[in-house]
Amino acid sequence: MQTEADYYALFEAYQQGALAAPERASLEARLTAEPRLQQLYTDYLELTSTLHDYAERRRTRRTIGALHTAMLAADATVEEAPALKATVNPRLRISRTEQRLREFWGGHRATVGVAASVAVLAVFGTLLGLEAYRTANTPSAGGYQKLRLEMAQIRHSQQALINKVNTRLPGAEVPPVRESKYGGTGFALTADGYLVTSAHVIQGADSLLVEGRDHQRFHAETVYADQKHDLAILRIKDADFKTFGKLPYTFKAGQADLGERVYTLGYPREDVVYGEGALSARSGFDGDTAFYQVSIPLNPGNSGGPLLDAQGNLIGVVNGRDKDVQGAAFATKSSYLVRLVDSLKNRQPAAAYHLPHLNQLAGAGRPQQLKRLQDFVFVVKVYE
Amino acid sequence: MNTDSTSAALAADAQLIQAIRAGDERALSRLYRLHWPMVSHFVLQNSGSEDDARDVYQEGVMVFYEKVREGSLELSCLIKTYLYAVCRRLWLKRLTTKSRLHGVRLLDEEEYGPYLNTGAEDDLLEAEERDRRFATMSEALTHLGEPCRSLLEGFYLLDKSMLDLTAEHGYTNADTAKTQKYKCLARLKKLFFASYKEA
Repeated sequence: MQTEADYYALFEAYQQGALAAPERASLEARLTAEPRLQQLYTDYLELTSTLHDYAERRRTRRTIGALHTAMLAADATVEEAPALKATVNPRLRISRTEQRLREFWGGHRATVGVAASVAVLAVFGTLLGLEAYRTANTPSAGGYQKLRLEMAQIRHSQQALINKVNTRLPGAEVPPVRESKYGGTGFALTADGYLVTSAHVIQGADSLLVEGRDHQRFHAETVYADQKHDLAILRIKDADFKTFGKLPYTFKAGQADLGERVYTLGYPREDVVYGEGALSARSGFDGDTAFYQVSIPLNPGNSGGPLLDAQGNLIGVVNGRDKDVQGAAFATKSSYLVRLVDSLKNRQPAAAYHLPHLNQLAGAGRPQQLKRLQDFVFVVKVYE
Repeated sequence: MNTDSTSAALAADAQLIQAIRAGDERALSRLYRLHWPMVSHFVLQNSGSEDDARDVYQEGVMVFYEKVREGSLELSCLIKTYLYAVCRRLWLKRLTTKSRLHGVRLLDEEEYGPYLNTGAEDDLLEAEERDRRFATMSEALTHLGEPCRSLLEGFYLLDKSMLDLTAEHGYTNADTAKTQKYKCLARLKKLFFASYKEA
């Protein structure tokens, strides 16, 4: 019995053609006849061919490896020879560190880009978020409300009324009414046509219309607006205007006292509305000493209304309220109004400001005071 | 790319393949240098290093070269496109095994055209199978132990003659060495087939 090794010797000789003719014939015959021997031969072939291929592969690998080295070497010589600079690979010589940096950049630039964008977004998101949070929590922006009346609120109901009238009177043409955009209150400063209101009431005004209790209308123009103290001086433009009549109140140049009973008249709606309360602080919103705090319930439209004490001295001009605090309204102190009139007098000596000197309200009962007062309080309508 | 330059390039490719099949090393070298910038650029673009590019490219050229030598290469496109497809596939595989992020996306260069349907996939599968066989063989040889390993490596891998090997290993004559070789071969067979079949 032959061993496997003996068969291998036989196979090798057979493959190399070193077997004599009869031996070869007998082997071929046995290979076809014996499956075991056939299997052995197949395995032998696979083994040796694998070995040969493996040898071939190792050679190829070496060859290709050498090709790469040769290529790099050739590139290096090309790079070193200055005359041949612009040949195959016109790459400039770069240092090892730069090479690394370039590789890093080439490999990670997408990641770096994403990281940078995230960082930028995070920074701006945080900044804007904080800013928004701060503004949302700052009391000054949210709390203070200027009491200018936006006519759009009441326009709807007004329109409904007009419609009702139209349907009642078929055929009666109603001229289109141009409605004012904003409204406020104003009061007479002098008998000869100067008025006072709040500066924010007339802000952005194209034209102003002043309307009294008796529905008499005057066109007015702005003489001066003091945004800081929220005061505005208007003058009646109409040629046929003569006088308001003698003003019954005087302007207090000093400060009013804490706890004084005060009241105001204003036009938060179509009719004049009376409001009463006490002077609750001698400083206004956020501690602003140009204003008083008063405990009078006020509404949009009250802005620019007169604030009077029990004796009928005008002590302030109503202009706003604190939305966050119950019953806290604000009024500009009359001393600032007096000072403003003085400075206007100095600037334009031609225009005379005859402030009233005689208080006709002192000592009268409140209804009598109001009866006299309401002729000097007006609606200020603002058109844009 | 117009038809003229395409056919010219195809003709040049055919010539190159002919030369490589004939065993012209300079042709292989020319091919190697021609397409290296493309592959190196591709790998560097896709978060690889210079060394990665070299490995991938050599692997790719190897696949191409072995197919050419076997004469079994069926090229339906330019060599450039074929190599690009092969190297792309190889690099994609490495990237997926390297990073745990599945679904790696590669930045491709449009100019290398449709790298799909180049037959590269099949060729690569074939090459992988071959790689596995060689790896098993290498392992079997290592496990064979001396003197069998150096005897067989000497004969089959290093192309030494039996006479040289007889002298090297101190056998009395070439016949003893031959007998020894066959015994070693029988042992190698067991080791090789045992691990190759089971794998």
